[in-house]
Amino acid sequence: MELTPHVQEKLHAGHKLTAVVEAGLVQDFIKNTRVVALIEVASTHVKQGGEQALLIFQTARVPVHSAIDLSIEQVIAVDTNLKCEIDTSSLDVDTDVLVNITSGKVRLLFEMPFSQRTNAFVSEILRAAEVVSKRRGPPPEFAWLQPYQKSSTSSQDPASPGSAPTTADTLDGLGGDAVSLGDVSVDICQNLSSTYPDPANCNTENSSVHTENERSPDLGVNRHSIATGLSPTPIAARESHIRYQMAMREDAYTDIQEFTVFVGTWNVNGRSPTVGLAEWLAVDAEPPDVYAIGFQELDLNTEAFLFNNSPKEQEWLNAVLNGIHPKTKYRKVRLVRLVGMMLIVLVQEKHLAYVRNCAIDTVGTGIMNKMGNKGAVSVRLDLHNTSICFVNAHLAAHQEELERRNEDHDCIFQRTCFHLNITSNSPPKTIKDHEHIYFLGDMNYRINPCDMNIREVASSGEFKLLLQHEQLTQQKNAKRIFHKFKEGNILFKPTFKYDVDSDEWDSSEKARQPAWCDRILWYGDSITQLEYRSHPQLQISDHKPVSAIFMAGIKVVDTRRYRRIYEEVMKKLDKLENEFLPQVTIDTTEIILEPVKFYQSQTKYLTIANTGQVPVQFEFIKKLNDVTYCKPWLSIRPYSNFITPGEKCDVSLEVLVDKQTAAQLNSGVDQLYDILVLHLEGGKDLFITITGDYERSCFGSSINALVHMNKPFRDVPVAKLIDLESKQPKELSEMPYAVPKELWYLVDHLHSHGLQVKGLFTHPGLQKEIFEIRTCLDEGVEHQVLPGSVHSVAEALLLFIEALPEPVIPYSLYQAALDATPNFSLCKEVINKLPDYHRNVFEYLMAFLKELLNHAEDNTLDANTLAHVFGSVLIRESSAVAGSSDRRNQNQAIERKKQTFVHHFLMND
Amino acid sequence: MTREYDHLFKLLIIGDSGVGKSSLLLRFADNTFTGNYITTIGVDFKIRTLEVDGERVKLQIWDTAGQERFRTITSTYYRGTHGVIVVYDVTNGESFANVKRWLHEIEQNCEVVNRILVGNKNDCPDRKVVLYEDAKRFADQMNIKLFETSAKDNINVEEMFTVMTKMVLQTKKEQRDRQTATSDPVRLHNTKKGKGGKQKCC
Repeated sequence: MELTPHVQEKLHAGHKLTAVVEAGLVQDFIKNTRVVALIEVASTHVKQGGEQALLIFQTARVPVHSAIDLSIEQVIAVDTNLKCEIDTSSLDVDTDVLVNITSGKVRLLFEMPFSQRTNAFVSEILRAAEVVSKRRGPPPEFAWLQPYQKSSTSSQDPASPGSAPTTADTLDGLGGDAVSLGDVSVDICQNLSSTYPDPANCNTENSSVHTENERSPDLGVNRHSIATGLSPTPIAARESHIRYQMAMREDAYTDIQEFTVFVGTWNVNGRSPTVGLAEWLAVDAEPPDVYAIGFQELDLNTEAFLFNNSPKEQEWLNAVLNGIHPKTKYRKVRLVRLVGMMLIVLVQEKHLAYVRNCAIDTVGTGIMNKMGNKGAVSVRLDLHNTSICFVNAHLAAHQEELERRNEDHDCIFQRTCFHLNITSNSPPKTIKDHEHIYFLGDMNYRINPCDMNIREVASSGEFKLLLQHEQLTQQKNAKRIFHKFKEGNILFKPTFKYDVDSDEWDSSEKARQPAWCDRILWYGDSITQLEYRSHPQLQISDHKPVSAIFMAGIKVVDTRRYRRIYEEVMKKLDKLENEFLPQVTIDTTEIILEPVKFYQSQTKYLTIANTGQVPVQFEFIKKLNDVTYCKPWLSIRPYSNFITPGEKCDVSLEVLVDKQTAAQLNSGVDQLYDILVLHLEGGKDLFITITGDYERSCFGSSINALVHMNKPFRDVPVAKLIDLESKQPKELSEMPYAVPKELWYLVDHLHSHGLQVKGLFTHPGLQKEIFEIRTCLDEGVEHQVLPGSVHSVAEALLLFIEALPEPVIPYSLYQAALDATPNFSLCKEVINKLPDYHRNVFEYLMAFLKELLNHAEDNTLDANTLAHVFGSVLIRESSAVAGSSDRRNQNQAIERKKQTFVHHFLMND
Repeated sequence: MTREYDHLFKLLIIGDSGVGKSSLLLRFADNTFTGNYITTIGVDFKIRTLEVDGERVKLQIWDTAGQERFRTITSTYYRGTHGVIVVYDVTNGESFANVKRWLHEIEQNCEVVNRILVGNKNDCPDRKVVLYEDAKRFADQMNIKLFETSAKDNINVEEMFTVMTKMVLQTKKEQRDRQTATSDPVRLHNTKKGKGGKQKCC
């Protein structure tokens, strides 16, 4: 299937298709086919080239035949918010790959085949994301995507220019939130009960598919999908799916609890902590829940720079531990240091149990863009269910190094990378992957020269005027840095640069202008800043420490609700798994046959309809110790087949009681009754009962029984028939016939009407006439006349002999008969050993055959032909022995022996 | 590595026709009930995942046809079963009288198996004919746990299946302990390694 040309057709001029793939979009518990395309705009259309976006198409048909099949469902700009992750935890050779694409609040989970194509596609997205993350200047506007957004099914109000094209309301269409959990299952049920329209209808409905989709993008399972064969299939990796489902329902089992977070930053200018830090760290009435304390220029020695160990680390840690709020106990979560940058994260002891997945990283942006004199040190952690990242940065110094600082900022965001757990396969996290981010440090942004006396204004407290010229504020407003971050109002004096041990501005030769170098910014919902201040009382450095107090809403798991929702998710998955088991309905489980007659076939039909959601492979299987899946008088076609959802399969059940099966039914050993087991692969078994009455016939009855019947066969009670067929009959006739009367009727008829008929025994009879002859023999022959042609009577005679449960030459003498063929007298010995009535039958038949040969001139019969025809019916091998392979090979030789045996009696006697 | 479940157990529901075997399964697996009586003609199964003592147990529960004429065929489905649920109808004395035959059926077809006796349709006191005391006395005699349930009103169904699961889990642990005590530890280690990661898998 080639998607490229169809997708290309959907694109506007100047837009190029980079890569495209077909994937299963996982919605709640179902996956539906989507086409995902990565497109790029030509550089002539936008100020800066390389803007890319993902288009997600719904498909009306699978595989896609033309561009008409595709309708845009979602447009996702490839911006810095876009994340694409492969869920490696589910990597298994035979399962699909789960690809998570997130952008802001839009979270899409795709199941893609484990293939080269998928690999290439994901690589392209990652490359595109990397290009975006490396670009300079204002973020791209993606105005070129507007035509797609208008046609997309899920964005009700077109995104205003400049804003990110992915809006929260798209979630309703795709992500599946807690509310839709119930809805989806309802949809499935409706789909199930809405039965299956015939295929002819489906095609006509295809044209309306688009409009229906556009009206109801929030359908979990598209109503048409089953009818058009786009049936959703159950997702493969259940475990990943549970995780995904639980993440989507987080709101339902977490409560927001307010935590106070103290964030502090201080450039200590290489000094040792000769003063207590309580005036910075413990000025508030209540102790904070979390402390994040960052230092810069902790150690200015070259030794610290080169060997990265410093006695200052312990000194300042001790000072911090002594200076924090005395009202409660704290525990250190992590300490990270790179040369002079150090970050300490502490939590109240009672919270430690809820801190998980801690990790640190350091990024040097100093000399050669990697040394640790500048850069950032970071700590990430999960507090309850909220992910938090603290970044302590020290950016490039000096008034004129604005662009360098911006680049350091970019570098920190790009290069900081947390590896949560080396043993787990979970992908590394960047700063932006966190719900709460606190960015603190000596940012080194200055106040641009202006017509004010900066020192005077800085001392006066008219900060608003100065802040208009403040570099960080300007760069942030221009969206160059700290995109989407917030900073509180600055109501404190610039924290740089003071004479050490004083509150006086720098009096050195350099006479540096005051600046708000030391800053704290944050990102994330549910964070409120309560305090943002400096602490001028601490005078040992040329910087003043800064601190901020935040009220942060942390998601705390309610275990009871979590369990309930977890169980709910499990139940839904179970239910889905059950719904995706193979399902069929059959039109009947009880097949009742019309009265079955010997050698007269009867066919019944069974319709198996696939009413489930998955293709079904059915097969009739053996039960218990049976050798075959049904009785020998029954044949099932097809006994195994494949049915796609909504399709049916007609199975024919043909009942035929022939010479092999009649005897068993006559003697009551077998009955026309069978239970068939219809097995669905990977699913249930259905039992189908087949019952009927067999009209017993002299055909298939034994010689010994028949000679004791003085009445027409049909008039003999069943009990008597069964008795006569038993090994030791209780009631024998006092005047048995020499040969069965039915045999006599047949032979007599031929003798009277057939001696001169050409082709007797070689010309076939008519089936219908043979049935009439059979009925006539069973019901009693009137006036010694049989219906039908002589050929039919001749064939009936052969059938009669062949259907004898014990052949004329009994099974026990079978081998002896074959061995006797070289010698006529030996053959005669075999005949002498026959039971009386069998010998009668044999001799009677031989006499008749010889009489036939007397008329050979008319009937053109010869001894060889007759010997061959009668040899094969008179001398039969027990079916238990027949059929083994070496026997079959000798078949021809055996047939010749049988012929020879009979031939002796026709010619030599 | 994906760990979908720690244990996979096969349970079997048997008992006279019409006592509510399918209803019990439907209630437990899909939490639904339908008043329409549809005779099960065959054997069907559903799955349900439970978390018991922190372990994830996937149950594959087989529902069998109760009709007499299918008895010989259904007996083949006993193989590999971890637990059998014998159901009677508290409003039908005959179905209770037949429990003995069903228990005999289990003995004939299973080796080691956990059993539970369930008196279903326990939602209409006026129509109840099998008294709890009588059933309990019989159950004690047979050394089998008794539950009175209603699939219709969702009474005791979840509890009954949970207890059954716990019993099976317990048996498995005992068997494993015995095995660990008697068999060569090296070999045991090897067989576990073979499945890579799914250490608790059965």
